[in-house]
Amino acid sequence: MAGSEQAHWPGPAGGAGADPELALLVSRIARGDQRAYEQFYDRAAGPVLGLVLSVLRDLAQSEEVMQEVLLEAWRTASRYDPARGSAMSWLMTLAHRRAVDRVRSEQRAADREQRATSAQVDYDDVIEAVESALDRERVRRCLDALTDLQRESVTLAYYGGYSYSEVARLLGVPPGTVKTRMRDGLIRLRDCLGAQ
Amino acid sequence: MGGRRGRDRAEVHLLAGAYVLNAVSAPDQARFERHLAGCEQCRLEVRGFGETAARLGASQAVRPRPELRDQALRTAARTRQLPPGPRLRAGWAQSDSAQAGAGPARARWRRPGRGPWPQLVAAGVAAVVLAVAAAAGVTAMRDEHRISVDQASGHELAAVLSAPDVVMLTAKVTGGGKAAVLMSHHMRALVFAVAGLPPLPAARGYELWLIGPSGSRPQGMLPAGQARPMMVAGLADGDQVGVTVEPRGGSAQPTTRPVLLMPLDR
Repeated sequence: MAGSEQAHWPGPAGGAGADPELALLVSRIARGDQRAYEQFYDRAAGPVLGLVLSVLRDLAQSEEVMQEVLLEAWRTASRYDPARGSAMSWLMTLAHRRAVDRVRSEQRAADREQRATSAQVDYDDVIEAVESALDRERVRRCLDALTDLQRESVTLAYYGGYSYSEVARLLGVPPGTVKTRMRDGLIRLRDCLGAQ
Repeated sequence: MGGRRGRDRAEVHLLAGAYVLNAVSAPDQARFERHLAGCEQCRLEVRGFGETAARLGASQAVRPRPELRDQALRTAARTRQLPPGPRLRAGWAQSDSAQAGAGPARARWRRPGRGPWPQLVAAGVAAVVLAVAAAAGVTAMRDEHRISVDQASGHELAAVLSAPDVVMLTAKVTGGGKAAVLMSHHMRALVFAVAGLPPLPAARGYELWLIGPSGSRPQGMLPAGQARPMMVAGLADGDQVGVTVEPRGGSAQPTTRPVLLMPLDR
């Protein structure tokens, strides 16, 4: 474990939502403050890379997308609106959308079937690699508390980059069911993560 | 007919999860965003789901190669930033993709004041500042306040006001007036509001300070109207908030005895 710690990211204490300083950094970045951007980078790069990597699986591509996302955050910092959510959720939204755009434009259907079969394994691998044991445990425990269909619907969409109709085909259930499971899965996750 | 519309509304509402997970088709996305515009409940749900998804995302964090850092900082330094602009009403995935594209995508932006979000933000900030004022026993601040919270300070104010650890302190000012502080220890920042201060001769003004073990740091002159909340960042351990009477242009160090000294106890 000691050897692997070097490679892992400390991450914000207490999880993504509990980092109000990030919002203050974003408001300084909006005014062109490069020192603030350095601090922002140090907090943001790890979570962004981790999420993008979970979707794309390819490190070189993921690094490229990470840099695009962080540059986008620099460019559009003035448009970040705290009333609409935490700075981390803004950032993760930018990252996820970029990763999904990339995977949808580049991956052929055949590749994607391949990725689907390995999704669970890779997800476990990546989650093992998170330094913040507490946050990792919380997320895992809350994912475990979902029904299988809720969990697969949420993780295939979020970590796998699949649309709900693709998830429906992969799981062999009607699209309407997947849509509903995504929503009630997120409700349970929200309540579970919020309660801890 | 009404029943069918009701079913459609209920059905589109169910898209909230897939929408936040970026798992909807373009037509579904457009449909859901139209629905969002008129559904406060949905906006709250989307916001909550966004935080949840961020937790899932951040839990995957890995350390990037160190050499990427310099590259990112250099690229940012020579990249022009967007000016503050009107905000889109829907989730930020869409507003930001409009910005991130090749062009400015002006057609997708709403004019200031047209969408519900800008008013909600302004109203939210104003409401909290008013609540501060009320708690401090301050009256007759209403309209000045609403006007005085401009976009730039509103942005920072909202970040402090929405911090999970925000606390409020109030105090009387020697000679008249009341002050209120909303503070986030975690952000090391506070919002200061004061009202009812006695008027001063034109050549003098009230100056705001952070007064700590290592000396006093000027935080700016209080606006003459005195109703405008001020943002103070960079709090250090042992700091107190102080107000002194100074020459109108301000002083580098306090030159009079403070009319207000508020310890920021931890």
